[in-house]
Amino acid sequence: MIPGLVQILLWQGVGELISHFFLPVLPGPVLGLIFLLVFLMIKGQVNQSLALVSDAFSQHLGVLFVPAAVGVILFLPQLKAHALAVISALLISVVLTIVTTALVLRFLAKKGADES
Amino acid sequence: MNPSSLQIAEIWVYLSGSPLFALILTLTAYQVGSYLYQKTDKYPLANPVAIAVILVAIALYLVDMPYQKYFEGAQFVHFLLGTATVSLAVPIYRGIAVLKTRLVPLMIALLCGGIVSIVSAVGVATFMGADSAIIGAFYPKSVTAPIAMGVAERLGVSPTLTAVFAVVTGILGAVLGSSILNLLGMKAWWQRGFAMGVAAHGIGTSRAFAVHPEAGTYASLAMGLHGILGALLIPLLKSYL
Repeated sequence: MIPGLVQILLWQGVGELISHFFLPVLPGPVLGLIFLLVFLMIKGQVNQSLALVSDAFSQHLGVLFVPAAVGVILFLPQLKAHALAVISALLISVVLTIVTTALVLRFLAKKGADES
Repeated sequence: MNPSSLQIAEIWVYLSGSPLFALILTLTAYQVGSYLYQKTDKYPLANPVAIAVILVAIALYLVDMPYQKYFEGAQFVHFLLGTATVSLAVPIYRGIAVLKTRLVPLMIALLCGGIVSIVSAVGVATFMGADSAIIGAFYPKSVTAPIAMGVAERLGVSPTLTAVFAVVTGILGAVLGSSILNLLGMKAWWQRGFAMGVAAHGIGTSRAFAVHPEAGTYASLAMGLHGILGALLIPLLKSYL
């Protein structure tokens, strides 16, 4: 498990450095993700240690954003004041996103099937 | 005060000053959340993150601890967000390797879905008069929370609001997704799963896996790709909208 963790931390470090000096608009970890993805595509396989660490993180991803999300207690008055706007925006947006993605996908799949 | 309560007070002063209290609180609350999620057969409303946030908030209120002090301890968990973000490369890589043949329609659908999610949320919130802090946090809310929070930080938007909106979006998508897709008459599992993953990231993916493994695989790919696309697209849209 340790080699996988070292590898991830190193890519994160490279990402942070490049983000800091060249591309401040992209967060370091996202750059690290992109580098690791490109690296894996070139290498053509995922080693076991890396897979182990990654699976552990994706299984328990939720716990990592609890500390920040608890900060919502500081925003409660603000959210209460705009409750209707917040709920409407979240609800309408998620429905439209599912509908758009599904319909575009079905249309393209049908078109692809007709052409071939 | 009698000697024993004095002792307890001393122990409390010691514990509340160390990161241990915040860490135990965070992980225990999440464990309770996970337990309830499993017990309710992965019912989306019994979301472990939502339950954990409510439990921690109640606990902080009861012991009268300010949020800043809690976060000082809990930041050790928070730090791992970046590391977890990098490790998302592995599921994305696995997904791409398996799904190469459909990559082009998937990318087009993702782009349309991603833009609609931002424009509709920001549009509705602006139209209904929400303030700029809230509107800002709507930009990254359909992206998986660890990436969304990183993007939010760079945009000068509250990562907290972003995380909360992302979790609520995930729960709404997971609750409503199947009915919406049924109404549209969507039959192919891969299309249903991908739509869930684009709209409702990790929570939608977990729901998709519970419904059908093929839907889950595509949802997971959608979530990963949306994370990368979101990180590239959101700063652009934010400066032009």
